[in-house]
Amino acid sequence: MAEPQIKVFDTRHEAVEAVHELQRQGVPDSAIAVMSSEPLHIETLHLPKTRIAGFAIAGGLLGAAFAIVLTSWTSRRVGLVTGGMPIVSWWAFGIIVFELTALGAILVTLGRMIFEAKLLRRPVPTGSEEAVANGKIVIAVRK
Amino acid sequence: MSETRPTDAKINADLLGPVNKPGRGWYITVAVSGLVVLAAAGALAYQFSRGIGVWGINRPVFWALDITNFVFWIGISHAGTLISAILRVTGAEWRRPVTRCAEAITVFALMIGALFPIIHLGRPQLFYWLVPYPNERGLWPNFRSPLSWDFFAINTYLLGSIIYLYLPLIPDLALLRDKSRGLLRRIYGALSLGWRGTQLQWDRLERAVRVMAVVIIPVAVSVHTIVSWDFAMTIRPMWHSTMFGPYFVAGAIFSGIAALILAMAIIRRVFHLEAYLRPIHFNNLGLLLLTMSLIWFYFTFGEYLTSWYGNEPEEMAVFRSKISGVYAPFFWGTVVCCFAIPAPLLAIKRFRTIKGTMIASVLVVVGMWFERFLIIVPTLTHPRFTFNWGSYAPTWVELTLTAGTFGYFVLLYAIFTRLFPIIAVWEYKEGLPLGEHGEPTIVGTPDVEYESA
Repeated sequence: MAEPQIKVFDTRHEAVEAVHELQRQGVPDSAIAVMSSEPLHIETLHLPKTRIAGFAIAGGLLGAAFAIVLTSWTSRRVGLVTGGMPIVSWWAFGIIVFELTALGAILVTLGRMIFEAKLLRRPVPTGSEEAVANGKIVIAVRK
Repeated sequence: MSETRPTDAKINADLLGPVNKPGRGWYITVAVSGLVVLAAAGALAYQFSRGIGVWGINRPVFWALDITNFVFWIGISHAGTLISAILRVTGAEWRRPVTRCAEAITVFALMIGALFPIIHLGRPQLFYWLVPYPNERGLWPNFRSPLSWDFFAINTYLLGSIIYLYLPLIPDLALLRDKSRGLLRRIYGALSLGWRGTQLQWDRLERAVRVMAVVIIPVAVSVHTIVSWDFAMTIRPMWHSTMFGPYFVAGAIFSGIAALILAMAIIRRVFHLEAYLRPIHFNNLGLLLLTMSLIWFYFTFGEYLTSWYGNEPEEMAVFRSKISGVYAPFFWGTVVCCFAIPAPLLAIKRFRTIKGTMIASVLVVVGMWFERFLIIVPTLTHPRFTFNWGSYAPTWVELTLTAGTFGYFVLLYAIFTRLFPIIAVWEYKEGLPLGEHGEPTIVGTPDVEYESA
């Protein structure tokens, strides 16, 4: 793969103009990486659709299912002494189900965010990390 | 009114300053809090060697300062994640310099609070028996018990709060990585997970933080509700109350905001962050504290009025011990510290200064610790059978451990500020008007009118 072309900009305005120019030249958005020390919210730069919220819901359901198995199945299997009360108590177990639902949502959100943001991968050094740290905006274009 | 937007270099230098050059105040804070922690460690070692009998607890007072500290610190933990999440979800712009100060409080307060049930086990080295896993002892947790609910709620909140603190920290870890050399660069590099600051990464980070904020709010509310149910699920006088859940949550947010104000005031002074933690932040948090003071008073009045009006002998014994008996100084001290002084102080705009909110916050923290003590001990000294009544006086071990919790909290917080920026650098920059990125810009500052406060 060819080395990406890199240019450093001082201002957001200049960077946005450069993105527009690249788009006018027919460079696809997926080939443009705009790096900055704060979110720039460039509306014309289209990012892939996120599924973080959907995965959070799925994670919550997974957590709930795990909690139900943990509380009701294991309580029955261990045969807890409950003094004549029902072994499975949904009022009481519901609280644990609630907590593990939230925990499932939180963990899956973290995992999905790391995946979608392409973190935990060895990044290609652009040599401009220092510039980004100092507030410059770096645009890298993959040809 | 207007002022010039600081440059990125200036913001970086100011906010990374505590990490690079912490200053004399930081070393003094670490030394003093470290000494207190050492004293508490000594007391703890003494307790482990002699057994839990070195505490003042007895029959019928099985819970005392240890559980007071547990409830108090779990309450303080509501400062951070909950307040930060609410401010994020509602889009309160003034939150930006405040959120990380708050989120760090949650993590450290929870760590301290969660220690106490373990210490209270008597044999803390066996705490892992609480964890549900197949074992040869035939032990299995009783999921009906509110103590089991505590285990799940506190651990969910702790893990969620650590992640909620960590996610917005990633870009600042990358900033530290790019500004440091050698081993530190490698450590910050590993912690920042290869962050490069692409717009895709920013977008995903902001979305994940938003989702997390929505999920964490009900968890935070559930945690202190469940702590309250440790008491309310029993049928002891003045514990068996349906409003204990919201009462505890209100008290937790109340004490949490007070702790946040104190932490911010100390950080502002020690690290010279006057330009970032401004009077407007103290004013706004002061107003929140005032609101919570009124809500706390409303709940307290409702709780005590109901007991008094019911006039049941068992309830009245506990009630009288608090209002006019041996615990009256604590009760009236609580009312003075949590309502009588802070409410008027915070209601008058002229007094809602940094100093004013700090005074109110110190009083609220002290008052809320009294309140936690009052909830636990008087009920236990007055069980339903009068022949079983008892008394309680703390020993030096319990008092040293209590002091140690405060020292430990300050120490952990100080170490955190030495390793990570206590104000989110990127969030702060994002909150400045977008204008020309990196260029000095004339911007409006609605908080300037409070500058002289």
